[in-house]
Amino acid sequence: KDKSAASKDSTPEGAAKRRGAGAETPKQQLLDIIGNMKVEVTYRKKLQQLKATEKKQAMNKLEGPDSEGSVPRGNTEDTQGGKPLNPELVKAASAVASSLPRNKKQTESELLAQLRRHEETTDKQKKGGTINIRNVISEMTVKRQSPAQRGARISSHISLHLDEDGQRERPKRSSALSMDSRRSLKVGKRLNIFTKASTEPEHALKTASSPTIWDLEFAKEVAAVTAQPPRNGFEEMIQWTKEGILWEYPIDNEVGMDDGAEFHEHIFLEEHLKGFPKEGPIRHFMELVVCGLSKNPYLSVKQKIEHIEWFQKYFEEKKELLQEI
Amino acid sequence: MAAAALCWALRAARQVLPSPCPRQVRSYYVDWRMLRDVKRRKMAYEYADERLRINAIRKNSILPKELQEAADKEIAALPRDSCPVRIRNRCVLTSRPRGVKRRWRLSRIVFRHFADHAQMSGVQRAMW
Repeated sequence: KDKSAASKDSTPEGAAKRRGAGAETPKQQLLDIIGNMKVEVTYRKKLQQLKATEKKQAMNKLEGPDSEGSVPRGNTEDTQGGKPLNPELVKAASAVASSLPRNKKQTESELLAQLRRHEETTDKQKKGGTINIRNVISEMTVKRQSPAQRGARISSHISLHLDEDGQRERPKRSSALSMDSRRSLKVGKRLNIFTKASTEPEHALKTASSPTIWDLEFAKEVAAVTAQPPRNGFEEMIQWTKEGILWEYPIDNEVGMDDGAEFHEHIFLEEHLKGFPKEGPIRHFMELVVCGLSKNPYLSVKQKIEHIEWFQKYFEEKKELLQEI
Repeated sequence: MAAAALCWALRAARQVLPSPCPRQVRSYYVDWRMLRDVKRRKMAYEYADERLRINAIRKNSILPKELQEAADKEIAALPRDSCPVRIRNRCVLTSRPRGVKRRWRLSRIVFRHFADHAQMSGVQRAMW
């Protein structure tokens, strides 16, 4: 507990600085998760079942040094000794929990605890606190080994002739070694003698929140293997449509254009003329510009506003010139 | 027809299509003049908005003349390759600058070659 308190005191500024950078990616990842909800429902359920069972074990075992990540503290509030969670993240977590069919309170608390742990482990890893990393790793490997290893295992099964490529060697080597010794290599505390910030925490961190590079590679491999050349003209046309070479029929004339803005946003553009002087030739000119823009069906509202703003900037720059006149 | 021409154009435009079946992909432009034309098109696309706006200031009778002269100087200061007038519609396959039909983006010789081999959809020899 002293060690954790000391690390907490040393990292409040670091945490505050990295709050901006670190909070973006979890938020992004959460939003991605919310977006991919339908696809990954079973995986999420499994993960949470795993987490539910492991959490109880973890609570009993690692009470002392890992008190920051334990559930009872997590259930109380969102702010915690100098490391408050982003309120947007909390909202996103509650949205995710409410959209899941299971126990909402529990899922929400688990998500928040996971988020907190994620941020703390990133901070700790950056600071280089070996002891806490060790605990986190030991806890993480017990939980998340199977999903992380699953991709590596399957990709090693489908190993196409990619040995020459230096990228494939890493997971193959590590997965082969670990599978040979039946999980005896990865389990247990790391001494961190040879590698400083090993890829283990990043590996474990990224599995739940975003697909790892290896997962993406695996997906690409699978797609390359399963996608056979087209057997007939129809399949060729389907492939071309997917790639974007062929348009979709029946032809939609407004494919890239519809941005969902109402007609009044396109036509009534006088509100954007507030930065200009009320009288004079410039106002006359800008009114003509706005009239022309309102009749233009090809530009989006954003582009029209940008157009007007460009003129505003231009006339601002030319102010001295205009004063002389 | 537009699809086939577009297909050819894409291949000539150095895009590697992400498909597993081995298709012939051309990864170079036909010659340097075609490359320079491509660069000019890209620049013209980048500067199109600015040029339009500065020209709007120049070509009207409401704003004071000093402003229009300042806009003249500004547009002259833009890079030379950004003006659309320098773009030449070359043949997509042979980079021929003359005798290019706009609808197919092909020169007359290539067009005739494909049409005679019945590879142009809906194109027939005229006889009346």
